[in-house]
Amino acid sequence: MALLEVEGLTKAFGGLRAISDLSFQVNEGEILGLIGPNGAGKTTAFSLIAGFIRPNSGKVVLEGKDIVGLKPYAITRKGIARTFQIVKPFRKLTVLENVTLAAFLRCAARRQAEHEAYAVLERVGLETKAFAFASDLTLSEQKRLEIARALATKPKVLLLDEPMGGLNPTEVEHASELVRAICEGGCTIVWVEHVLKAIMNVCHRVVVIHHGEKIADMPPDQVVNNPVVIEAYLGKKARDYADH
Amino acid sequence: MKQVLVLILGLFLLAIVPLVFPSPFFVHLMIMVLMWTVLGAAWNILGGFGGQVSFGHATFLGVGAYTTMILYLKLGIAPWFGIVAGGLVAVVISLPIGFICFRLRGPYFSLSTLAVAEIVRLVALNWESLTNGPVGLLITTLPAITFWGKPINWESKLPFYYIIAIIAVGALAATYIVARTRIGAYLLALREDIESAESIGINTVRARVIALGLSAFLAGAAGGFYALYLRYVDPDAVFSIGLSVEMVFIAVVGGLATVGGPLIGAVFLVTLGETFREHFLTGHLIFYGFFMMLAIRYMPDGFWGRFLFLVGKLRPGKGMNHGAS
Repeated sequence: MALLEVEGLTKAFGGLRAISDLSFQVNEGEILGLIGPNGAGKTTAFSLIAGFIRPNSGKVVLEGKDIVGLKPYAITRKGIARTFQIVKPFRKLTVLENVTLAAFLRCAARRQAEHEAYAVLERVGLETKAFAFASDLTLSEQKRLEIARALATKPKVLLLDEPMGGLNPTEVEHASELVRAICEGGCTIVWVEHVLKAIMNVCHRVVVIHHGEKIADMPPDQVVNNPVVIEAYLGKKARDYADH
Repeated sequence: MKQVLVLILGLFLLAIVPLVFPSPFFVHLMIMVLMWTVLGAAWNILGGFGGQVSFGHATFLGVGAYTTMILYLKLGIAPWFGIVAGGLVAVVISLPIGFICFRLRGPYFSLSTLAVAEIVRLVALNWESLTNGPVGLLITTLPAITFWGKPINWESKLPFYYIIAIIAVGALAATYIVARTRIGAYLLALREDIESAESIGINTVRARVIALGLSAFLAGAAGGFYALYLRYVDPDAVFSIGLSVEMVFIAVVGGLATVGGPLIGAVFLVTLGETFREHFLTGHLIFYGFFMMLAIRYMPDGFWGRFLFLVGKLRPGKGMNHGAS
């Protein structure tokens, strides 16, 4: 059985169907890429899974239990943690405090929570910045802090919302290694990303969304040659070029 | 170890000060300082740690004061039980207020607390069968009790001093516990970013309700003491916006989200205020406002925050609070 199952998820904002009848499965231990052109509904899908917005219909099933309708904090407790595309650190707290707050979820004692937070910072390579203020970090570091904070809640499924956005090629390389390492550490990952190269190298499987609908669900090497995906990204004309 | 010594020394000083300086004005001043410490600490838990700026905390003060009064005058329950009851009734009142106002964020929350406080004041003013309306309620005699075999002299200020000293120590201890445990950390998180706080598993509604409840209890207990000490309450005396604003002043000038801040703020502002009150009736508010401006501009962490920074206990550069800094 899949660890996380999304079944027939639909969300309309007024007349706009941001997500319609979206279904996919996430298997334990895999890195699933979620890609699509701008405005395809990727972030909306995340917000629906993490409980920040409620779907009009459909189910999100974690380990056999429907979690639709639960509040975000309750979903985090059940084991789904998310990062934000536009980073939202607690700016006036230090990096360690940021992560400690998340670690409090699984242990109430301050000293132990700090200890665990520090271990997470070592995992993401932020331990040298532990006592810096979150607002003083570079974008790349803030994205790592987002991941660290989510990891500190000890999730079963980690939802990464564009952790590579705005990073330079070297930083993307480091971040890819980090994502792979987190997966090897036993955490299942769903990953929304614009930087396709990173997705192709790291993901085990890719789901492509277009206009809120799933148009492909296959290994990354097949996605790049899939005509429907190429059409979605580049338009019909490009496909004609590819055919001739 | 050092901290324990400082604590014992502080408690000792608190206990002997009125014996060393028995002048009634000085003891009155100390009583007011301690009462405002409790009110500042109450506001600080919700506003300083949680970032939920309330302009309506006089509601809880007033509810506590009226509860104590009414329980004594109508049911004959001694005011010292009334103080605890005042705190509890304030908690009960705070729940629907939180239910209504916590739907709003930032300035809208603040404005809604202001509105609710006015509503409560008008209810107190017009519910004459319970509150006696604008005429107010008056305690003429306090019950005779003995303490270790000696009758307590209610004409002296000493018994009041010790009652409020105990409440103030309790309020600061509560702040200390909040600051040191998970709930304080959660409040800081929701002050910074509510969505992020939710995403790491914090039930932000519950955290806010707990903070409001604790805050209301302390303010209500201070209100109960107010009734016991001044023996007279009317709606304008205990529900006025001015009182709510004074709590904000004390917490900000003393140092938001610090344990000692409300004490320092109260010592400083109340001393100034009471000194000048003889000369002009509400003139102390001018000084409050003046020091509020100075604090915001030059000491965004407040007097106590600044002190902690100078002795190296607080990290440099970043205001503990203040959306502006």
